[in-house]
Amino acid sequence: MELEELKALIELLKDTDITELQVEKEGTKLKIKREKILTSIEMPLQKPSAIYNKPVEVPSEEDTQRLITITSPIVGTFYRAPSPDANPFVEIGSKVEKGQVLCIIEAMKLMNEIESETDGIIVKILVENGQPVEYGEPLFLIEPL
Amino acid sequence: MNIEKIRQGARGNIGREILFYPVIDSTNTAGLEKALTSEEGLVILADSQLKGKGRLGRTWVSPPGLNIYMSIVLKPLIELADATLITITSAVACSIALRNISGLEITIKWPNDLMFQNRKIGGILTELKSELKKIVFAVVGIGINVNSELKDFPEDIRRMATSLRNETKKSFSRTEIIIELLNELNKWYAVLASDREIIIDKWKELSSTIGRKVKVVSGQETLEGIAEDINEKGMLILKLLTGEQKKIVSGDLIVLS
Repeated sequence: MELEELKALIELLKDTDITELQVEKEGTKLKIKREKILTSIEMPLQKPSAIYNKPVEVPSEEDTQRLITITSPIVGTFYRAPSPDANPFVEIGSKVEKGQVLCIIEAMKLMNEIESETDGIIVKILVENGQPVEYGEPLFLIEPL
Repeated sequence: MNIEKIRQGARGNIGREILFYPVIDSTNTAGLEKALTSEEGLVILADSQLKGKGRLGRTWVSPPGLNIYMSIVLKPLIELADATLITITSAVACSIALRNISGLEITIKWPNDLMFQNRKIGGILTELKSELKKIVFAVVGIGINVNSELKDFPEDIRRMATSLRNETKKSFSRTEIIIELLNELNKWYAVLASDREIIIDKWKELSSTIGRKVKVVSGQETLEGIAEDINEKGMLILKLLTGEQKKIVSGDLIVLS
């Protein structure tokens, strides 16, 4: 078997799920065997807590100039979702409209839904779920649209 | 439940307009929907709720024919930073109303759970809409276990919950309790506008939290200590085992001793 033929055979197998191939030609026996390569990996769905625990990144000063900062109007606890099992109201990259709920700040069983002041895209989430926040503390950076 | 009698019995702003639903998802959700276009004092009552709201997505068990599920729309002229006083005021008014009706010594567990001894007899959840650091409206949701028997509660909360009937072995008129609740709420919201110190003092008098050893689960943090006091906004002052004082703004509180 010519080298070119062999190469072509291997090339052909590349895009298939075949893990073993035997060819017999003009008295030559060829056996190609390969380990199955995983092309896609299924990940378990991330639990909300895993999303919440992302490290908080502090944006550089020049970044923040064109961005709109949403701050906490009260002292309380920051929640990214209406309940621990629910999806967060927004993620980084979420497109939001003016008036859309971004998070809840709780103070003594008083739930204050914080709304976006502008149409835009969430660029940064500055507080982790369940963290205490002070009055005026920055919560989100939004790039206005 | 006699809505006409409640309308006649309610004196003051709160209860001037009453909406009643035999079944509703949640009186608070309805309150939030109607708040913008309604006057202050709108009361929403339901015989049963399909999705009664508790804190953080928890459910308030709301079977028909037995209990009180009520939401009140308020538009108070206080600063957003003082909004927590709404929950303190509601707890004071509700515990006094329930004492008047039942004779039971109903106490307040911080911030606003209505308790008989160590069991919860009522809960208050407030949802607030604010704009530019001002309160647009608050919807105060009040759930009172009136005529539920222990078997009416799901098994997992049976040890922690109770009702007026369960404690007194008598059944109560929901109509009369609602009238009493509305009248106390009207009275104490008027006090909130004039002298908030009176409300804080009254809360402390009715509280079963102050002076007790407690555990507070707040966000991702669990703290243990003595519940020393509440501050002028109703926040809990916890003295930790280390002697350090900590101000608690939210969390689940368990009285340990």
